[in-house]
Amino acid sequence: MIFLYSTYNELIKIALKPRSYLGLAAITGLVGIILFALKADGMSMISFVTASFEQTLRFEGEVLNGNLVAFIILQMLIVHIPLLVALVTGDLISGEAAMGTLRMLATKPISRRQLLGSKFLAGGIYTLLIVIWLGVLAVVVGRWLFGPGDLMVLNSDGLVILQENDVLWRYAGAFCVAFFALLTISNLSICLSCFSDNSIGPIVSTMAIILLFTIIGTLDVPVFDPIRPYLFTTHMASWRSFFEDPLPWESIRNSLVILTLHHVLFVTVALFAFNRKDITV
Amino acid sequence: MSNPIVSIKHLSKYFGNFHAVQDVNITVNQGDVYGFLGPNGAGKSTTMRCMLSLIQADKGSIELFGKSIQNHRSAILSQVGCLIEKPDFYKYLSAFQNLQIFSRISGKPSTKKEILAMLEFVGLEGREKDHVSGFSHGMRQRLGIAQTLLHEPELIVLDEPTTGLDPQGIIDMRNLILRLKNEQNKTIILSSHNLSEVELICNRMVIIHKGKSIVEGDVHALLNEEEQIIRLQTTSDAMPALLGLLHNQGSPIQINDNSVEMSISKEQIPNLNIQLVQAGIPIFAIEAKRKLEDYFINLLAS
Repeated sequence: MIFLYSTYNELIKIALKPRSYLGLAAITGLVGIILFALKADGMSMISFVTASFEQTLRFEGEVLNGNLVAFIILQMLIVHIPLLVALVTGDLISGEAAMGTLRMLATKPISRRQLLGSKFLAGGIYTLLIVIWLGVLAVVVGRWLFGPGDLMVLNSDGLVILQENDVLWRYAGAFCVAFFALLTISNLSICLSCFSDNSIGPIVSTMAIILLFTIIGTLDVPVFDPIRPYLFTTHMASWRSFFEDPLPWESIRNSLVILTLHHVLFVTVALFAFNRKDITV
Repeated sequence: MSNPIVSIKHLSKYFGNFHAVQDVNITVNQGDVYGFLGPNGAGKSTTMRCMLSLIQADKGSIELFGKSIQNHRSAILSQVGCLIEKPDFYKYLSAFQNLQIFSRISGKPSTKKEILAMLEFVGLEGREKDHVSGFSHGMRQRLGIAQTLLHEPELIVLDEPTTGLDPQGIIDMRNLILRLKNEQNKTIILSSHNLSEVELICNRMVIIHKGKSIVEGDVHALLNEEEQIIRLQTTSDAMPALLGLLHNQGSPIQINDNSVEMSISKEQIPNLNIQLVQAGIPIFAIEAKRKLEDYFINLLAS
């Protein structure tokens, strides 16, 4: 019962902290700008991409429709969402330590395991809300403004065209995988938060790790080949697999396994560190 | 035989090479108002933090209510209310919301009515909706006390509770502690730099110095309350006569231009007063000095 109370406390704190709304406001603003840009000048952008196919293919109907807009938004923003997630979750332990409230919480009859668990759960719920909000703005508002239609996706294998009635479930799957990947960021930043007594450190450290792993993942250097498949950043974009035809289930499953291992690692390290942490501030 | 609520034996804690606490032994009995004294950096806060499992002891045993804090942490802390160091709260939340947050995980969640009553009890009525960011240190201290008492704990641990309070607040706090002891038989551990406060409120005390508990026991026994240090104030002209009269009463311990301090038994004080009047020595003040201050300074010096 005390775990549920503590989780409720954490959600209340997130809900009433102004910083929590930065992420939602940033997403709203960025999606708004993208939607405005696509509405104003989207066709010329699309023509730039489709020009190379127009000698062999003829496009009928609205290529620039709500489904494509949602895909573009997802593609552009999913890179920035980790920062918005870490901004709140990286602060969950270290921010309390900096404020002195961690000392107050730790003298209450809640075990440190439960306290940390409630923070992981609250961080996960916040991440889910961010993903849902992005989904609402990208898919719902995108389709409302641009209308439905077949989705045309350009990937490494070529052009994939997905029927309108075959798209929504793919978005649902893509957002689920995107949430699972972002949950890794949430767990990583909370884990780092256990080692710090200031709120900025874990946020910056999380971004530094993401940057480092992304660079390792994109550098075409053979020495990194053995570790690349095991970096969580390699699997951050696995949501895109839902827009391939046929669906690469093996690849999706592999990504989910690697991300799950990261979740377990971050939670275990955090539990170990937090249980032994001397609260001296 | 008193019932020990807190029993700390051979407690030691290192921070790297620094020995913060060394072989500290403390026993706090049911109903005690227990003073925790020592200069800054003596190890008082480290001992309190170990007692509340905020930091892990390297050696020794800590038992509260007869149970080890390591093995029965949650059960023990549900009976403890504490305010360690300064009262820190969520500045973006109101006083009421802050109390709600801490109450929910106290093991005995309080109702809205109980929280409002507690805010009134500590003198913060009408401020429940105000954000803590706008509170003065004294108001936060009061909110900290409210947080400490809200779940009606058996053991109350207060670290410098009068810091930042105005004179009336200090008197209120002193009365509150005495009420908790006398009316509710609560056990209270009080860390303070204010020696006269400890002397007035506490029945038992420990003095910690350089990480070690150098003295522990009954305050009145330690201070030898049969003897009283008094200060007599007169004029410079009357000083020789005063010293002459006091010569028969005991040895003055400090002589200034127009005042004398001396140790005297309590029974002798009325008699001395009569003799001073009969001798026609003008006396402007007879003050009883607090003994703990001298005791504390002498002990640390030795």
